[in-house]
Amino acid sequence: MRRDTITATTPTGPHPTTARRETLPAWLLLAPFLVAFGLFFFVPALETLWLSLTESSLTRTSAFVGLANYHTLLNDPSFWDSVGNTFYFSLLTVIPLCAVGLLMAMLVDRFAGAGGWLQGTFFLPFVLPISVMTLIADWMLQPSSGVVNHILGGERAWLADPHWALPAVAIGTIWWTVGFNMLLFLAGLHNIPAELYEAAALDGARGFTLFRTITWPALRPVATTALILQMIASLKVFGQTYILTSGGPFNTTRVALHYMYETAFTQSDAGYAAAVAMAFVAIVILLSLLQAWLVKWLAGRDA
Amino acid sequence: MASVRLRGIRKIYGDNPVIKGVDLDIDDGQFVVFVGPSGCGKSTLLRMIAGLEDITDGTLELGGVVSNTVEPARRGIAMVFQSYALYPHMTVAENMGFALKLAKVPKAEIEARVTRAAEILQIAHLLARKPKALSGGQRQRVAIGRAIVRKPEVFLFDEPLSNLDAALRAQTRVELARLHKELKATMIYVTHDQVEAMTLGQKIVVFNGGRIEQVGTPLELYERPANLFVAGFLGSPRMNTFPATLAGHTGGLATVRVPGGGLVQVAADASRAQAGAALTLGVRPEHVRLAPDGDTGIPGRLALAEYLGDVTLAYVQVDGVDGMVAAKCPPDAPVPAPGSPVRLRFDPARAWLFGEDGAALPVLRERVAAAG
Amino acid sequence: MNRSGSFWTVAGIACAVLLAALWAFPLLWALSTSLRPELETVSPQFHWLPQAWTLDAYRKTLGAGNVVRWLVNSFVVALSVTVVTMAISLMAAYAFSQLRFRGRGVVFGIAMLGFLLPFEALLVPLFRTMHQLGLINSYAGIVLPQVVAPVVIYVFKGFFDAIPADFREAAVMDGAGPLRVLWSVYLPISGNIVWAMAIVTFIAAWNNFLWPFIIVTSNDMMTIPLGLTQTYDAFGVRYAQLMAAALLGALPVALAYVLFQRRVTQGFLAASGLK
Repeated sequence: MRRDTITATTPTGPHPTTARRETLPAWLLLAPFLVAFGLFFFVPALETLWLSLTESSLTRTSAFVGLANYHTLLNDPSFWDSVGNTFYFSLLTVIPLCAVGLLMAMLVDRFAGAGGWLQGTFFLPFVLPISVMTLIADWMLQPSSGVVNHILGGERAWLADPHWALPAVAIGTIWWTVGFNMLLFLAGLHNIPAELYEAAALDGARGFTLFRTITWPALRPVATTALILQMIASLKVFGQTYILTSGGPFNTTRVALHYMYETAFTQSDAGYAAAVAMAFVAIVILLSLLQAWLVKWLAGRDA
Repeated sequence: MASVRLRGIRKIYGDNPVIKGVDLDIDDGQFVVFVGPSGCGKSTLLRMIAGLEDITDGTLELGGVVSNTVEPARRGIAMVFQSYALYPHMTVAENMGFALKLAKVPKAEIEARVTRAAEILQIAHLLARKPKALSGGQRQRVAIGRAIVRKPEVFLFDEPLSNLDAALRAQTRVELARLHKELKATMIYVTHDQVEAMTLGQKIVVFNGGRIEQVGTPLELYERPANLFVAGFLGSPRMNTFPATLAGHTGGLATVRVPGGGLVQVAADASRAQAGAALTLGVRPEHVRLAPDGDTGIPGRLALAEYLGDVTLAYVQVDGVDGMVAAKCPPDAPVPAPGSPVRLRFDPARAWLFGEDGAALPVLRERVAAAG
Repeated sequence: MNRSGSFWTVAGIACAVLLAALWAFPLLWALSTSLRPELETVSPQFHWLPQAWTLDAYRKTLGAGNVVRWLVNSFVVALSVTVVTMAISLMAAYAFSQLRFRGRGVVFGIAMLGFLLPFEALLVPLFRTMHQLGLINSYAGIVLPQVVAPVVIYVFKGFFDAIPADFREAAVMDGAGPLRVLWSVYLPISGNIVWAMAIVTFIAAWNNFLWPFIIVTSNDMMTIPLGLTQTYDAFGVRYAQLMAAALLGALPVALAYVLFQRRVTQGFLAASGLK
């Protein structure tokens, strides 16, 4: 087909007309989020970084001191103690949370006829505010009138005992948040096609064998996800220990974020607190990357 | 005026040219079909006309006005999508009236237009239903109704029948033709199905690899394909092709050597080709006759015969030819047993020659419009 | 059913019953505690059920004035957070998903950085910003930082991406601008997930302890989770009232969960598809 001379006068090259038409509306739609994001996340994030390099109080910024705060941090036993407490807390909660969550998911899946009641019972605590959990926990753990001591006997003041305070908080946390892990595992279980079980049943597999050969392999990715999510979430613990034990007794329940809070708001040392925050973030990121790598390595091994 | 003019249209995705220079004129009120294999660019071109894709280069004129950058809703165009794209949360009436509502047309008029369109398409009893309560065929009509209501200059159809079963498809084809006659609108219809193209189109545009291979009426394309691609694309079963070498030519007849060593004559002008040139000989199955072994013609072996009741399809294996040669025989014609040797014969006026570049060699004389 | 099968079934039922009892116990015990007179809660004689049933604790708690005030604050805050978060997240998600503009990938990446830094690390600068804006101890101060929700945007964008482009194109051909398409087409189609995320956001905002804890300085601006911790000192050792307060604080979200169980689980699952 011949081409007309008209083409000589038409604009050549790319006509990004659609992109031009959509650019303005796009930015308008994004504007509210971007403003909020900038004001309440991005700028504060940069500010934390900046603050950590200064000596500041809660409301005023003072001298620039470079990495002095970080030097102090590295040699601060209180900081490292709080990090240790945090890891200890993670240890106490991550695996039980995932194991119990898995068990619950399997039970809910198996007895689905309970019409959501079972699932509801396990999940309800998760939607409750933290202070409800702490109030009830505190009441139950009372030395003389608490129901726990009534059942177990004795008069132990759990939350005042340096050995038992953190574990007690951990158990309370498990009650409070296991529902979420159960949900994850439930979703994973629902993704396993029924035919796999049917085929295995025909092959004569029963009970634990079924679990070992079908359920667990299919759930491994979910389990990994759950473990990772739980690990990271547990590092961010603050509310429970602050409310129940104020970080005591003898700072045995003072976790990393609590230490940061204390430094900032009690000692009004914003600069140092910012450094603590940055160090904390660094640890979280490091662990996340480590786990992401671990997941990939495990997945590669399975393939 | 509802005419469409394309000049030098190009579309490049990144560094991948999808439409490589298209010139086309569509007149007011024509039913034009874009047909071609998947990936040939016909849908892309349709979407460029609609305004859903940007035109990289070239001009698009709608009703004489350059419309490259005009917003889709202002082009006077309505489109029927392959998936119908009916808003699932709106009733049929709301679906059909949505565009008018956006254009702030008064409610009374919206109602009037929607009712009228629903009557034309016989879906008036479905106006209060939601799309999920409709069958495929009903949804399709709603999609068409949505287009009609806007009283566009040009209707665009993007493979509208591909989601329907065969029976519905045949029935809807008839209705689309009736619709076109009644609305007298310009319609551009995209399909990969050559039967749809042949039955619906007043003008067919055959696409391949981003270019137009040929434009013409169904009969023109069928009887005078411009190249091998068009010849092979239209017609079912496909046109048979044989590798042939030019042996000589006199006047309007060319003589070629065919597989099996024999010479056959074809009514084509080979004056510009060189002796010995490698050509392709094409004969449609309905023009291939089976002859007994001793006769002249291309030698082959009968592989299989399909008795369809109204016609018998005989498939013949020929040395030197990929695939099997198909011959359409009358239903009561005697067909040799599978495995027997046969000869293939055809009328020289019913065959084509295609050059190395695929282009058809010109025909000097008019084809004899004889039967058989 | 062979013996092995019924063994597992029985074991399963026993397990389920045990766990369910364990999990329901704390709340039930709190309920029981709240329905008895104060003296009974600390009496040396232990009773599982109240010997004298009474709504005294609730009356006193609600009458103490502040609990009602806190509930109101929580409602205002949670509702505001939900509405604002949904609005700006839907708009942003739509822009990221359906509109073409330069820098789209970069901006989306930056927005998703929100996952990397925990909110807790920003407490100090946020406090200072609020101080400068004069929003300490105000509704706006409590609400605003909570409307930044990359999770919600991520979930919505995922859903929008999965909606066939045909609907948008049909709407464009019908003459709809981007906002119109979002409002008239994408929003109705995404109804379920929007509800799910809205409820989840409401619950999270209601339960948020850390930020209100930082920003609120006066007793009557407190939200319920915050206020309840005050009760330790306010009520002294009045456990019946404490439990009543706790249950009152839990009631709205518990109700939300019971009413919308499916949506809540759907929302939490969607939000957990990533960190």
